[in-house]
Amino acid sequence: MSDTEAADSLDAELARLIASCAARDRHALRQLYDLMAPQMLASMVRILRRRALAEEALQDVFVSIWQRAAQFDGSRGPARIWLLAIARHRAIDVLRSERVDLYREADMEQLPHAETEGSGDWSSAGRSAAALERCFRELSGEQRRGIELAFVNGYSHADIARVTGEPLGTIKSWIRRGLASLRQCLEK
Amino acid sequence: MKHDQPELIDALASEYVLGTLRGAARRRFERWQSTEWHVASRVRTWEGRLIPLALGLPPLAPSQGVWERIEERIGAAGSARAVAPRRGTSRPALRALAAVLVLCAIFAGGYVAWRMTEPSRLQTVATIQGTQGALVWSIELDSRRERMRAVALAGAAARPGHSFELWALAPGKGAPVSLGVLPDAGQLERTLNAAQRTALANAAQVAVTLEPPGGSPSGAPTGPVLFVAALKRA
Repeated sequence: MSDTEAADSLDAELARLIASCAARDRHALRQLYDLMAPQMLASMVRILRRRALAEEALQDVFVSIWQRAAQFDGSRGPARIWLLAIARHRAIDVLRSERVDLYREADMEQLPHAETEGSGDWSSAGRSAAALERCFRELSGEQRRGIELAFVNGYSHADIARVTGEPLGTIKSWIRRGLASLRQCLEK
Repeated sequence: MKHDQPELIDALASEYVLGTLRGAARRRFERWQSTEWHVASRVRTWEGRLIPLALGLPPLAPSQGVWERIEERIGAAGSARAVAPRRGTSRPALRALAAVLVLCAIFAGGYVAWRMTEPSRLQTVATIQGTQGALVWSIELDSRRERMRAVALAGAAARPGHSFELWALAPGKGAPVSLGVLPDAGQLERTLNAAQRTALANAAQVAVTLEPPGGSPSGAPTGPVLFVAALKRA
């Protein structure tokens, strides 16, 4: 089975489970949890830095999936994207309501494999990831770094300015231009 | 903010998905996308573009108890309606037949002269995951633990000239018992024999090894152990 086929078959299975959740099947929610919670939690812990906080937010996410399952429309995109998007938006919401200190060492220790940042296993993400990877390589090093820090670690423009030592305006322009280049490349 | 410019909408959608649109601007944008489909559609496009970045992170298993709290929270909503028992999901024809039966029951005023045997429900007892988070197989058993289904999910890339074999790991020093070869794609269902049922009843974990095509010739693992996963109790 190719990576793309595997990703497609997982998306089909997840879509089926989401439909069962809409029909109030709790076993389906449990199966979704088994399949996707570790991936969602990984993304949320990177943004929120505190595992306990991320796990609380993960509960909100699954309650939300249970409530919103009927709104899922598989024709608008893969199930994994829908699920991860809910998880990420929730983490960013919590980030803005909690005072999360980016630089607390104790919290940083809980980050899994911080050194793999941005160099993850793209193959499991299938077709869309292959295109993203190709287009990502075309960005300048600064643009790539800015987008990765923002997306994977949930850093704000100001956070990125702080960790890179560059002026805020420069960071905003790295990201703006990086996103514009990504868009151009992905639409080719 | 000028809201009629496609470039501006696209730029805001991209920074929203990226996470750099914050504070009041983020809240304003969220309200806007909830009412304007063309804004929501740009958000979905950017989610499709960027979210694969998040799929590359090594997965983290949630702590014990997280699921229980989710269950408690959906409890009130879930108990209001009876949850229909899940039927064997790999059998659309059977499910269609079941639906027809329901209709028959309604039209015949509840009198149905014949019944079909409902397959017992399959439950996921183990999810076997690779180190990079590529989901590989889901192992399901029926309530009597007699029928097993292995579903290849993502990342179960076939290795030419080899088979993946599943084992029940006995606690202590007992030898692992083969549960058969796993599918490279799709799913495989089999009835377990008495020895396999006993081994599964006693095992706390299952393992996957790389074996010659068709599985280990000796009945004991010969290749490297690729994955180990915990087995859920029924």
